Amino acid sequence: MSGREAWRLLVTWAGEPGWNMALDEALHAGADSRPVLRFYTWKPHALSLGYFQRWQQFAPLASEQVLVRRFSGGGAIHHQDELTFSIAAAETHALFRGEVRNSYERVHGLLARAFATLGVRAELRGRDGLASDRAATGMCFHQSTPLDLAWDGRKGVGSAQRRSASRVLHHGSIKLGASALEEGVAVLRAHAPALEPAELARRIQAEFEDGLGCTFSREEPSASERELAARRAGFYRSDPFLRRR
Amino acid sequence: MRPNDRKYTKTHEWVKLSGEDVLIGITDFAVQELCSGNEGDLVYCDLPEPGRSIEAGETFGEIESVKAVADMNAPVAGTVTEINVHVEEHLEILSRDPWNQGWLIRMQPRSKALDGPELLDAAAYEAFITASKH
Repeated sequence: MSGREAWRLLVTWAGEPGWNMALDEALHAGADSRPVLRFYTWKPHALSLGYFQRWQQFAPLASEQVLVRRFSGGGAIHHQDELTFSIAAAETHALFRGEVRNSYERVHGLLARAFATLGVRAELRGRDGLASDRAATGMCFHQSTPLDLAWDGRKGVGSAQRRSASRVLHHGSIKLGASALEEGVAVLRAHAPALEPAELARRIQAEFEDGLGCTFSREEPSASERELAARRAGFYRSDPFLRRR
Repeated sequence: MRPNDRKYTKTHEWVKLSGEDVLIGITDFAVQELCSGNEGDLVYCDLPEPGRSIEAGETFGEIESVKAVADMNAPVAGTVTEINVHVEEHLEILSRDPWNQGWLIRMQPRSKALDGPELLDAAAYEAFITASKH
């Protein structure tokens, strides 16, 4: 027995946008109580709105972008050239225990260590604003808080959490390359030009294993998770949910 | 010590008798977890329409801080009769006075006996919080 905590690792490349959100809902539901780290990308690329954002701000983009709404908060994210991840675990888990701030410091600390292996010096923003801050775009990467992870003076990781039923779902988006909707943000390829999502995922996984003392079991979503994701995928891109506010 | 005139849940809501009704809110601990003392970090609160019937343990609303959305669950069953519109517009009240000015919903309870197995008195809630930190 190693004594290391057992985590699940899910990797779902090129997921349909509504299905991506629905699978995270399934992981948050926690039918399998083991902590889970999921890496994913989007096909087609999509714009995800935060749970409480107003539809009207993004309605003009509906003709040119696939839109979904997340069940986590924060601003909109253009899921184009990035690695997306989610972490689902009980709120009493060592990663999430305590104040929301503490959980961000832990997650972002692990990410910063992974980025350091690429020669990127990422730090929490702290008190001062960033060069990537923009007024009123509604984009997550154009708003920063002291807990955001930044390099080159710009925000490079978008994060949000959902806390319900004693569970936490942490959403994260890490920019590899630029998006026209997210002008001016930090991108990892400025430092690692050939970086691909799978390689970044491998480095993050390694830092989780080292930093949390856990081992990962690479798995596919369970049958019940796949069933829920298939059943709920349409909800996240449906008009009633997109226009809920 | 938190007020002794009400009961608490393990999901950090409180319920208090108020005449024929009950008032429901969230605890100082819940607020602190969400915003770490930065009252401006609470950005939005979604409360139910009056007239809605809610079961004990059911989510009655959601609150958003700059970094998390959290559910708020009803400690008891009943029908919503009023929501605190003032708090919706001034979320900083939850940081300053979660116990009085910071009530969130008024309900006509199905039972006025606040004695469900899930309800904790102030001392038991304190013990629960202390244990959950370790």
